[in-house]
Amino acid sequence: MQHNPELSIGSPNRVTVMQGQVYVGSGAPEILTTVLGSCIACCLYDPIARVGGMNHFLLAEPSAGSGTVADQNYGIFLMELLINQMMTRGGVKSRMKAHIYGGGNMHAGMTRIGDANARFALNFLAEEGIPVVRQDIGGESARRVDFDPVLGRTRCRHVEKVAVPAPKPIAQSVSGGDLELF
Amino acid sequence: MSDTIRVLTVDDSASMRALLRSALSSRGYQVSQAEDGVAALEWLADNGSHIDVIVTDINMPRMDGFGLIEALRGQSRFRDCPILVLSTESSDEKKARARSAGATGWIVKPFDADKLDTALRRVTH
Repeated sequence: MQHNPELSIGSPNRVTVMQGQVYVGSGAPEILTTVLGSCIACCLYDPIARVGGMNHFLLAEPSAGSGTVADQNYGIFLMELLINQMMTRGGVKSRMKAHIYGGGNMHAGMTRIGDANARFALNFLAEEGIPVVRQDIGGESARRVDFDPVLGRTRCRHVEKVAVPAPKPIAQSVSGGDLELF
Repeated sequence: MSDTIRVLTVDDSASMRALLRSALSSRGYQVSQAEDGVAALEWLADNGSHIDVIVTDINMPRMDGFGLIEALRGQSRFRDCPILVLSTESSDEKKARARSAGATGWIVKPFDADKLDTALRRVTH
């Protein structure tokens, strides 16, 4: 499981955030970018601290319509990782605003996994009291998202499905929780 | 101690609190919850004799997990109460700080509910 996308930097000021990763801007001019099919990217921004970050995730296919505990656990983990890293850079949770993108249902006739992922993200943000100021979710399109973490600006374009990397639901492969006794 | 393990979970994420309550209640725990270190101390001031183990996050507003552990270890009645950290953090530096503050152990999120159950039973028996 990767959470550090710095290895996938395409140019000095463009950072590609791949599935399973979280990245918070360093304060230098950067553009965080990602391409989404069924996956969700959540961009959080604190306008006072001028700090922003993005995650990119796909929860495993839900078994009963609303996601399993394992799904939610992994999704909450990636959201919490983003929030905590922003707090480390001076962000304050109560000031954060969210943009969410993706959650496309890419294959007609299959489970609407994109909808389930979008629903998870909206529910999480509502429970945490983080307002969603912009969203472009659902439908059958792929999307490319660019996010400026200093200015909090996003650009979301619908793109050809062929541009989307093959998604890999990974919630069930995550194995954490071992006790380390002191 | 009664057969039912009484656990206080401390986490600022409402989603995580709901997940922990669901996972632990379904395994027979009596679950109480607080949203940060300050709220936990307030709750424990009134209910501290009714708790067997504390599970706390680290990154929280008002009072973080380190501050909570230090405050509890400064009170004689919580000197021996097991306190587990449950955090997205996994650095040796943070673990060392928790150990120094008096934490019993550390679990990295995302947690596995069965492993958490095993860990809680291990530190309370």
